[in-house]
Amino acid sequence: MIPSRPLFWHIEPVWLFYVMAATASAVFAYGTLRRLFVWAGGVRNGTPFFSRESMKRVFLDGILGRRMLKEDVAAGMMHLLIFWGFLGLFAGTLLLGIHDYLFRFLDGTVYLVYSIFLETAGMMLLTGLFWALVRRYVQRVPRLERRADDLIVPVWLVLVVLSGFLTEGVRLAIQQPSWEGWSFAGLRVAALFPSSGSLVSFYPVSWWLHAILSLAFIASIPYFKLFHILTAPVHLYVSPCRPVFIPADEKGPEHHYLFHDFIAFDACTRCGRCVEACPATGAGEPFSPRDFLRWARPSPSVFPLALSVPEGERDSCGDSLMWHCTTCGACLEVCPIYISTPDAVRRARAAAVEDGTQVPTLLVDTLEKLYKYNNPWEASKKNRNRWAREMGVTDFTKTKKADGICYFVGCTTSIETRAQGLARAFSRILGHAGIPFGTLGKKEPCCGDIAFRAGEDGLFEEQAEACLDLFSRYGVEEVVTSSPHCFHTFRNEYPAFCRLSGRPPTGISVFHYTQILERLVKTGAIRFKKPLGLTVTYHDPCYLGRHNGVFDAPREVIRSIPGVSLVEMLHHREKSLCCGGGGGRMWQEEFDSDPKMSEVRIREAAATSAQVVITACPLCLIMLEDARKTSGLEDSLRVMDLNEFVAMALDLADENKEEI
Amino acid sequence: MDIVVCVKQVPEVAEAELEVAPDGSSIDTEDLVEDINEWDNYAVEEAIRLKEAHGGSVTVVTLGDEEAEDVLRRALAMGADAAVLIDEEGFEGSDAFGIAGGLYGVLKDMSCDLVLTGAQASDDGWGQVGLILAERLGLPFASLAVDIRIDGDTVFVNRELESNTQEKVALPLPALITIQTGINDPRYVSIMGIRKVRKIEIRETDREELGLSEKEVGFGGSGLASRTLSLPSAGAGAEILTGNLNEICEKTAQIIRERGGVA
Repeated sequence: MIPSRPLFWHIEPVWLFYVMAATASAVFAYGTLRRLFVWAGGVRNGTPFFSRESMKRVFLDGILGRRMLKEDVAAGMMHLLIFWGFLGLFAGTLLLGIHDYLFRFLDGTVYLVYSIFLETAGMMLLTGLFWALVRRYVQRVPRLERRADDLIVPVWLVLVVLSGFLTEGVRLAIQQPSWEGWSFAGLRVAALFPSSGSLVSFYPVSWWLHAILSLAFIASIPYFKLFHILTAPVHLYVSPCRPVFIPADEKGPEHHYLFHDFIAFDACTRCGRCVEACPATGAGEPFSPRDFLRWARPSPSVFPLALSVPEGERDSCGDSLMWHCTTCGACLEVCPIYISTPDAVRRARAAAVEDGTQVPTLLVDTLEKLYKYNNPWEASKKNRNRWAREMGVTDFTKTKKADGICYFVGCTTSIETRAQGLARAFSRILGHAGIPFGTLGKKEPCCGDIAFRAGEDGLFEEQAEACLDLFSRYGVEEVVTSSPHCFHTFRNEYPAFCRLSGRPPTGISVFHYTQILERLVKTGAIRFKKPLGLTVTYHDPCYLGRHNGVFDAPREVIRSIPGVSLVEMLHHREKSLCCGGGGGRMWQEEFDSDPKMSEVRIREAAATSAQVVITACPLCLIMLEDARKTSGLEDSLRVMDLNEFVAMALDLADENKEEI
Repeated sequence: MDIVVCVKQVPEVAEAELEVAPDGSSIDTEDLVEDINEWDNYAVEEAIRLKEAHGGSVTVVTLGDEEAEDVLRRALAMGADAAVLIDEEGFEGSDAFGIAGGLYGVLKDMSCDLVLTGAQASDDGWGQVGLILAERLGLPFASLAVDIRIDGDTVFVNRELESNTQEKVALPLPALITIQTGINDPRYVSIMGIRKVRKIEIRETDREELGLSEKEVGFGGSGLASRTLSLPSAGAGAEILTGNLNEICEKTAQIIRERGGVA
């Protein structure tokens, strides 16, 4: 007898199965379509649908689970067992369909291989599911939630697999085929049953049970987080094509979220990696990227039956949720499928800003100052270049021509007393190295970072235009910024803005000052002679490191100073913890928790027993300086900008230095 | 509920270093940023909220130069439906009566249920225009409103009085109410919001069209003239610390210590 498996063996009536399968498919299709209609409402703006990175992500991060394994090997392995097991069984069922309806090939040796393949897949799935349940309910991994569907889904799948093995075992016990050894798992089940006539009547019971459980499972996919098995690969695919900037449209779409955001809302499995990474969550604020994604996920409106998002869940989180995010990007760094919560947050803010009624009061003040006075700090344009005037720094708007590199000082560095130390030190270093440079003086506008992060896209556009016009008027070719925020905005958002609003390319090279310092060290333009004898640690600003990949330039500069030993904090480089000042949070004290994000960070710095924590961003400098004082670390730890540290190592004393 | 809100564009002075102009009776506004008078902003917000709750329309009226169109656009972006700009030419030197006369010229031909104005303007600080306007329109009025509730043909107004007390008054509609700051949280007006109302036409009118003679408004119709303007001098008990930041901080700390502020 040739090894094979009869289809619908002892099953009557077969049409009933087809009716059930059709019903399950219809329920599945309905649920999926509802979500697809939501996606269709998202802004697409001609985003391309293909990139090589898309394919790479689907293969490496989807099929091979790269990001999942990288962040958490146990979780990654567990997921791969379930995923590959599930995929194997799904492929097996497909093959069976082909075999039965198209051409027969599952006979003899092929069947035996097929059989052992299915056994393995089933066992992998079962192992993975038990592991998942153990992680969630026995080990109680902190980042995992224990909601109803977290339990129902895996238990249901366990029942599907067990009923499958039961059906197989009963069949083998009745048939007693000579090749049963190939079905290693089914055989063990079969051994539990004595071969008797009553088994034949039990077999259909077991078969129908398996059929009903399986079909119900398929039908429920779009209604639970299970939907990620379809949406996560789609999100991996579209994630590299997410547009940075979309011109504000006067008509405005119904939704402010992008197509990509809606897919992300459906693709999030609530694994909680972002919850562990988020600095706001870590400081005890009532926010996590995971909660935001759930809050933002819209109920489908095209069909009236809203089954997926229970009403009330949105309210409990509240509209204030979106204002907590510092847009530091730590969540994106750890998300297995590259969900960019900060970008979705930004879109939510854009909607809130346009409505205007739910914007936090302090942020309203800040945005109005930005609009009227081009800075978020004070209701005056007068003091912007005071420090530069006092130092006699060249003002390109006075010389009418940018001879040399344009130092874009930025609002905070220009105005805030502590941050001005950065500008003075940098100017001194450039002067010492003999590099010609100048500023845009009083005319320097805000780069638009704060407006952009706050979702005030119209203001961002105006400020971007003002900056670009100034650059071209004075023939600026190279720009160096104090702030990683200006650097990021010039480097990543201006090109997108120019492209999508029909302006010519920016035509400027943008540097962060750390890159210039590194160049000066490498070319020998500055040389350190005096050993400092200090242990220091370096705090990676989010917009320099994580968002722009500049990790090594500041470290190289620090290492080049003799007698300085650089120690790393627990969270460094890509894993750096936000100081709490980004995303407009610098001007929104009302959300501060106890401890503040900056205090969490300064404690980590203190734990390295370094004497100085060096940073490279005016916002980090202010936040950490304040945290040092409120955390009682005034005597043991100093906070310095890299420029100040370098100037100290070069003995370029600051006469104006106001150490407070 | 049709509401008219009278607004004014004023220079922002909260953090500005003010200088008296050479004529000695005005402020040098060269470097100052113009924006809607703070009280008026609350009035517009209140009008929009009443419209959102009771239906109807909101019309904003201002008297100013062409720059004043900005405050009208801003109000339109907040949700107002129509705007009227009275050209200030011919109104120079007006007192509160003259300004109210201009506004009366526009309002007398409009039918509305409620007129709102700010309790005062931050530049002149007369606090009279709304009340004179009410008199001329023959409307009952309430000033310094911190809460407004409409019930049928009656409007209930909470008025802010001294020492945190409030008086609740009832007025028959139509009525005029002057708005105190803090009555609400005015919404944010986005650039996009302002761009969206760019095409709404603003009705422009002037003194002649309103049938006002030179004797009624402007210098000719004014009962008072501004003579001199001066910045306050540091009085007794006030001490301005000088020096660089370190020295100022040092002195401040010393004073606090001396006066027993810290142990």
